[in-house]
Amino acid sequence: MKATVYEYDFHQRILARDDPIAFAALADWLYNPLVQDVRKRAGLNADPVLVEEAVGEALLNYHDTPEKYNPSRASLRSYLVMAAYRDFQNARAKEDRLAEHQVSLFDPAFHEGDRAGSQETVEAIEHELQVEELWKLIDEIFPDPTERRIVTLILNKVRSPGPYAQALGLGDLPNDERLRQIRLVKYRITRRLRRRMAQQLERTGGYVQ
Amino acid sequence: MNDYTPSLDRLASLAREHPNLLAGPVTLYKEQEGLDDQRLATMLGCEVKAISRLALCERPREAPHFREDVERIARYIHADVMQLALLIRAAESRYALRQQPGATSPTLLAARDYEEAEEVSTEDKGKPSDG
Repeated sequence: MKATVYEYDFHQRILARDDPIAFAALADWLYNPLVQDVRKRAGLNADPVLVEEAVGEALLNYHDTPEKYNPSRASLRSYLVMAAYRDFQNARAKEDRLAEHQVSLFDPAFHEGDRAGSQETVEAIEHELQVEELWKLIDEIFPDPTERRIVTLILNKVRSPGPYAQALGLGDLPNDERLRQIRLVKYRITRRLRRRMAQQLERTGGYVQ
Repeated sequence: MNDYTPSLDRLASLAREHPNLLAGPVTLYKEQEGLDDQRLATMLGCEVKAISRLALCERPREAPHFREDVERIARYIHADVMQLALLIRAAESRYALRQQPGATSPTLLAARDYEEAEEVSTEDKGKPSDG
């Protein structure tokens, strides 16, 4: 199926490189549907963060090299879904491989909301890295000060939701919703930290530079 | 994670590493000024959800297109065009300075921001409005 008229118009705007809002408007329009499409393909048990990152990378790759897309061969949405799904599969395979070889850091028992798993991850990270190197890496991975505060709480093994809620400004939310949001943020941050650590360790053959 | 909801914020976060987009400069500015999205939105006179859209916009081209590009972005995110121009100028200079070791003292940044603000203000007064 070829690109729709709407997609073709976006594609031309992005190719022209003279419209500062073209990519943002495309992302605004397609991001959520793409995430839904890739999640359907990946299965409901697929890691949603991994799916969303794959969609993000597919969109950003398209932004960087739009000429690779041929609007006469496929719709833009299909093209991006295929690219994102491919990225998702690669990322999942990579995580699986790393989990097999670096058990201490990539404990497959780790799950969202699983405090014991999260705790083991923290301890494993601390074993793998010198503290100074760890903080240098954290500064790079989390430029946002709020995210860094959350990382600090996680690494300090803070379990009470209060400090997390305060750091995230969630004080006004109902209790259930506040706990849900905190779990989600902790999950995303721990996941991102693990993934970037994996990349770093892979690059340096097991040592953090 | 059945209640997981996708968010443009995550895409905006990934976009920080793409130098043609505003995500990197805007994030750096927020970080150095200690601003969160809500405060930045207030500063720009737009809604907080517009900040991730702003991050996904291209960095405006240099003059003579700068004003035109900033106006387009301002209309898109419903922000105050003058405040947005000042933000982008300040964020871009800080972003550029960050690439130069030893040139990031707060005094230098403040001086640079002031010069950029003057430049934008003068440019604004010298041109008829086209929006």
